[in-house]
Amino acid sequence: MGKFLLLAFRNVFRNRRRTIMTLLMVGGGVTGLLLVGGFFAYMYSGTREGAINNGLGHIQIFTAEHFARDEVRVLDTGIQNWRQVAAAVKTGRHIRGVAPRIDFNGMLSNGVKSSIFMGSAVDPVEEKSLGFVTHISAGKNLADKPSGEIEALVGAGVAESMNVKPGDGLTLLAVTSDGALNGIDVQVAGIVNTGIKEYDDHYVRIDLSSAQRLLQSDRITNLVVGLDATENTDRAYGELAPRLHGQTQKLVLRKWIDLATWYKQVRSLFNTIYIFIGIIVFFMVLMSSVNTMLMTMFERTREIGTMLAMGTPRMWIITLFMLEALLLALLGAAVGLAAGNLLGILINAVDVRLPPPPGSTEAMSFHVFHVPIIMIGSSLLVIVSLMLASILPAIRASRMQIAEALAHV
Amino acid sequence: MCAPQELVNVAAVSRRFPLDAIALDNPHQHKNSNFVSALNNANLRVNAGEFLAIAGPSGSGKSTLLNLIGCIDKPTEGHIVVGGVDTSELTPKAMTTLRREKIGFVFQTFNLIPVFTAAENVEFPLLIRGVGSRERRMRVAEALDSVGLSARANQRPDLLSGGERQRVAVARAIVHRPTLVLADEPTANLDTNNATQLIDLMQDLNVRLGLTFIFSTHDARLLDHTPRIVRLTDGQVISDTHAVGVCHG
Repeated sequence: MGKFLLLAFRNVFRNRRRTIMTLLMVGGGVTGLLLVGGFFAYMYSGTREGAINNGLGHIQIFTAEHFARDEVRVLDTGIQNWRQVAAAVKTGRHIRGVAPRIDFNGMLSNGVKSSIFMGSAVDPVEEKSLGFVTHISAGKNLADKPSGEIEALVGAGVAESMNVKPGDGLTLLAVTSDGALNGIDVQVAGIVNTGIKEYDDHYVRIDLSSAQRLLQSDRITNLVVGLDATENTDRAYGELAPRLHGQTQKLVLRKWIDLATWYKQVRSLFNTIYIFIGIIVFFMVLMSSVNTMLMTMFERTREIGTMLAMGTPRMWIITLFMLEALLLALLGAAVGLAAGNLLGILINAVDVRLPPPPGSTEAMSFHVFHVPIIMIGSSLLVIVSLMLASILPAIRASRMQIAEALAHV
Repeated sequence: MCAPQELVNVAAVSRRFPLDAIALDNPHQHKNSNFVSALNNANLRVNAGEFLAIAGPSGSGKSTLLNLIGCIDKPTEGHIVVGGVDTSELTPKAMTTLRREKIGFVFQTFNLIPVFTAAENVEFPLLIRGVGSRERRMRVAEALDSVGLSARANQRPDLLSGGERQRVAVARAIVHRPTLVLADEPTANLDTNNATQLIDLMQDLNVRLGLTFIFSTHDARLLDHTPRIVRLTDGQVISDTHAVGVCHG
């Protein structure tokens, strides 16, 4: 078998130009899959961590009612004894912080015009403990301890629409838990840029206690749990669930992946695109390799005839062709892996910037992750493709009529 | 003195090819038929240890007869017995085994595997027979030595002359110690000097190793020293000439 392998290996390099062309095709396919897959992996990671660090957190705690029905009154499905719950959760392993949140809506006005807003009330100190990043394009973040004026962060779109800048005042109007209309004056502390235009056009953030005064409720919408690493989400989720038993309200945990609908949609879409690219590469390699292998077979007709005449079993001829295809595939995959990883390193070093994606206001880095599973997958893809491509020529070679093959010119 | 043992018996063998498989203007095409006849009721007996030339012009059926004896092809009619086995009854697999075990081939265009060295080419028949590496090395060395090419063992075919390539092909044909060596126009691509040397070499191997050689040629100059000459014309054996008192092997 060793000699047969040697024969296959030497035959691979017999027609160097053709081998190089095939290696370029196979290697190019692997390189392409590696770069596209690496970029998609970077994008998934960026989207995931972006969603988590922009406020989603790793785990969120809600009342069971929150998912069972719509609010009849403001915050009537919210968590009542949230400080107690937060304290119980904080001591868990991998927990970096627990932050209360209130989601609310209302109207805001600058005295001249008014607009709707989507409000988020946070505890600035707890929010910092989660390590979440607030992208402030002007002004400053909310103060840890409110002093005098109620501070607010507004989205870039809100600031533009309301024509306000840090230090300017706005009035927030919202319906209280009793159904009355209430309002507070806030001072714009800073302007935030989440990167999502639709969000920035309506986003307002104030501190939790001010929101509770505005809404006339001591409840919160949910608790956001931040972990030391996203990979620990399942483990932390499993440990936290028993801790929430015995609370006065029935509470439920939701992992970030359950709440990140946008992330799941993006991932699903790009996975489909990636599979489509994979199929194209598969068929490109398959078709070009069938052609190459058939040409090789025709070129070596007399040689195959000689081998058969000498009594070489036909199965050996099939094996020889398959071995050659396997060697070619392995070489092509190695070339592709080397080129793909090298290009990835170069691209990462250059830090190419892409235009902002749809719905975003920030330019995006073209960064490539080196993902082992993609390397293995793309290599297997071309190996399978080349092996399939070799079946027809191998069978045709093995079925040659010896006398005709020997007379082949 | 000699006790001849029959090795090959070609009995009333005909070989016809369908018309679409060969040129339409073939002179052997039967009128109003859809086939041409390459061999027509040919008879031939060859004893073990003989050195025999099949002579005849192009298209006389020499290659067809060798292909049939060599189990590369099957006759349309008649029987061929090689070493006591009626090859016309054999399955393709059994024919492959017979070729591998009993027959050595030398081709007109050498047909060496170009990516193998001379030694690796000679080793190939042993490889497909599953001979162990130590014995392979020994037999390859012997075979190359017997054709005088030990010094060129590690050269690829493209670095060898035509004569050397054909000697490698002869070494490859005898390395597995076949009972029969078939050489189809082995001298056609060689100059007269190399051609004569090759025939002498084959004859020497016939004498020394007792191998049966059947070779085809249309070159009359090579027949001078051949003990037995079978002449073919239009697919029929027209003469079978023995030199008196010659018995090799």
